[in-house]
Amino acid sequence: MRAALRVFAAEGLKQHRRIFGSKLVVFSMLLWPVLTLATTYYTVLPVTSAPGAAQRWPLVAEPGRLLAFLAAGALAYTFFFSLVQSAWHFSWERVSGTLEAMFLTPASRMALVLANGSSALVQNAWLFGCFGLAAAVATGTLHLAHPGMLGIAALALLVPAVAWGAFLNSLLMFSRDSAFLYTLLDDPLWFIAGVRLPLFALPVWIKAIGLAFPLTTSLVVLRGALLDGKDTADLAGQLAFLAGLSAVLLGLTALLLRVGERHAQRTGSLQLF
Amino acid sequence: MIVTHELRKTFPGQRKLFRPAGPATHAVDGLSLSIPPGAVTGLLGLNGAGKTTTIKVLATLLRPTSGSVTVDGLDVVGHARAIRRRINLIAGGERMVYARLTGRENLWYFGQLYDVPRAVLAKRIDELLELVGLTDAAGTVVERYSRGMRQRLSIARGLINAPAYLLLDEPTLGLDAPIARDLRAVVANLARDGVGVLLTSHYLAEVEQLCGHVYVVDRGRLVAEGSPTALTAGTRLPHTVELTLAEHAPAVSAAVAALGAEFEVGVDAEERPTFVLRSPEDLTGELATAVVRAGGAIVRLEVNPPTLEDAILAMAGAPAAVAAR
Amino acid sequence: MATALPTLRRNWLVTMRAYQWTYFVGTLATGILTVGLAYLAYHAIGGGRAGGGFAAAAGTADYLGYVTVGAAASMFTVRMVLWVAKAQITEQREGTLESQVLAPARRLPYLVGVGLQALTTTVVEVVVMLTFAIMIGVRLPAPDPLTLLAAFVAASVAVFGISVPLSAVMISVGEAHITQNTLFVAMGLLCGFTFPPAYLPDPLRWLGEALPVTSALRALRAATLEHAPLSIAAPDLLLCLALGLAYLVVGLRLLGPAERIAIQRGGSA
Repeated sequence: MRAALRVFAAEGLKQHRRIFGSKLVVFSMLLWPVLTLATTYYTVLPVTSAPGAAQRWPLVAEPGRLLAFLAAGALAYTFFFSLVQSAWHFSWERVSGTLEAMFLTPASRMALVLANGSSALVQNAWLFGCFGLAAAVATGTLHLAHPGMLGIAALALLVPAVAWGAFLNSLLMFSRDSAFLYTLLDDPLWFIAGVRLPLFALPVWIKAIGLAFPLTTSLVVLRGALLDGKDTADLAGQLAFLAGLSAVLLGLTALLLRVGERHAQRTGSLQLF
Repeated sequence: MIVTHELRKTFPGQRKLFRPAGPATHAVDGLSLSIPPGAVTGLLGLNGAGKTTTIKVLATLLRPTSGSVTVDGLDVVGHARAIRRRINLIAGGERMVYARLTGRENLWYFGQLYDVPRAVLAKRIDELLELVGLTDAAGTVVERYSRGMRQRLSIARGLINAPAYLLLDEPTLGLDAPIARDLRAVVANLARDGVGVLLTSHYLAEVEQLCGHVYVVDRGRLVAEGSPTALTAGTRLPHTVELTLAEHAPAVSAAVAALGAEFEVGVDAEERPTFVLRSPEDLTGELATAVVRAGGAIVRLEVNPPTLEDAILAMAGAPAAVAAR
Repeated sequence: MATALPTLRRNWLVTMRAYQWTYFVGTLATGILTVGLAYLAYHAIGGGRAGGGFAAAAGTADYLGYVTVGAAASMFTVRMVLWVAKAQITEQREGTLESQVLAPARRLPYLVGVGLQALTTTVVEVVVMLTFAIMIGVRLPAPDPLTLLAAFVAASVAVFGISVPLSAVMISVGEAHITQNTLFVAMGLLCGFTFPPAYLPDPLRWLGEALPVTSALRALRAATLEHAPLSIAAPDLLLCLALGLAYLVVGLRLLGPAERIAIQRGGSA
């Protein structure tokens, strides 16, 4: 356990240097999410003012609530996408030789992928997270059933995100073409997870695919807890689903790590597929 | 002690969609060797001989296809984690370090992964930085290091866990001469301190200098083993002695011929007579005596004993294993 | 032309041999999903209609057509900029920048060569995206062919024009990812790809007008959604061309110093 914590500390430094190594990082951390949020808001504005829109989707009656809905989506998306980015960087370690140096050490492979993901998450998303929260409070769109729901919402976002990040790390570690996975998880991710649209607007088959991504359900919990005043009882189903999905992702990660490393030891190639 | 017994490593053929798999590669084919603590053991061969594959198996990066590999009695497959704590690998080249971290941070990072005790780590980092001459550059990010500096940092990384066994895969490849010389001194000191070192290198002079025992492999099989001197003697390669006289002395040719060895006569750029003698034994003393007795005045004497490189080249492609002790 | 055609040919060969499917899929996905988003929002939230303010601000009541043309233009812009603006930083990364600077060829013909090749592949990609839009039920009216052609040429000049100063910025700072993405995200907000710029506060609208892509979009929509004749679209076409050429001239001036800075910095980006 103590050894695993040291791995977390080590990865934390590495992520910190990677992310903050260049001062331009504030662009991707804050500027882009904010500009994209504004663009999305204006894009859907025309249909939200259509006759009967407020009956179909009540929250469009208040522009502030619509913006809060989209901001929550942007926040959660930024969290989950930062893990896609860190996994992509992680796959670069195979090319540069440092992955081999890591595999030489006795460090737990699971600890490595978990540490890599969670350090990236915290360091990437904190800025936009603070910004979002401050904005929600300032605009009065924050509606909590009780203060504890803030913690529940945070956990519902962080735990599945870390599990997903660990899974992506192990996936990209052993795949030949990481760029393609990166592309697959960029735009399609915001589309199927209901980041920019309420889930009822998506066809059933898209919603079904979306369920496989923890972002979708995390977002339901986030919006429910922070914007709609829902409490744990109201969100019990989603929370249980997230817990189960996180466990499945972690299980798949452990399997991939074992199979992948064994394959590498057998064939000399870290490329599994 | 690291011991391998009939180690075989076969890489499966490349699998292609809708086509049969390509042929398998037998990189290591029945290799038995031992690497004792407190000594430097050499592993030599031509390219494709399986040296790097062998090292990677010992480092637990590859699994043996068959045969056994143990480190202090622990099997590399069943006890990989325990073995990783006590070994390390330094490969030539500047990979295996992080460009965005400083030199010190790189060593700290790996120290964490090796779970080096905190009380020890800071001091060890300082010592290693000093050892590889990077104390002044410790706070600079590695992406600003020169290639030589990165390689030196890579060496320090290889020592961060104070390994009981150190595997060196062409560690001086591309290093400047002074740094390579310093590294060789480090390796010799480590062995003196009880570390078991396995060295593969294309610089045979370095192997000759450092290794007490050498294994020679070709196409994955052991073809010879022994000390460098014994290996060289075992191949019966000739010593070459080149001698230049101040001026012609008629009796010298006869005196040299009387030694019974193959020789050539010539002249150098200044028209002075030269003799080049080749023989299985070192006849330098006899030759010098014979020439002086015959009235010759020696102005230059150059002795070229057969080197390990000559021995390896002679062994290359030799079908039978030659064990010389 | 001595440089442009060989450059075009070289890039064609490289493209055919190693097509960057990842970039293609990525940009196509963005275009398709933008249209998809608008389509679902239009039906599920809007009930098949857009709000009253939209027609006044956009100049057309056809919300889906508006977004589709914008998404196609966005895809066109992104792909062209990626090709042309990154041409030189790619040379720098592959180590061929020095040899390019040493060669006596001028920069503009080289970039035109890159641009022409990019144009051909980008047009194909946009057509794929538009096919998808039509398949999901977006009705695109028949465009005025002359106006469309003129708008297409103007848009090409506009995009080519902004790519050149961007290229100069990229090679002098030795960075492409942050630079290009910031431009794309900013243009997404300011140029009116997916919503009428009239929605924006005035300072941002003026900023948007300074980009030739904004007037190019107006011309493209006039040609496609309003079937407008050339005379109606002429002011936007001329503004677009003027701005595009202005950016091009500035960019070409900046390229020389930028290359010198890049080579001095040495090594790859």
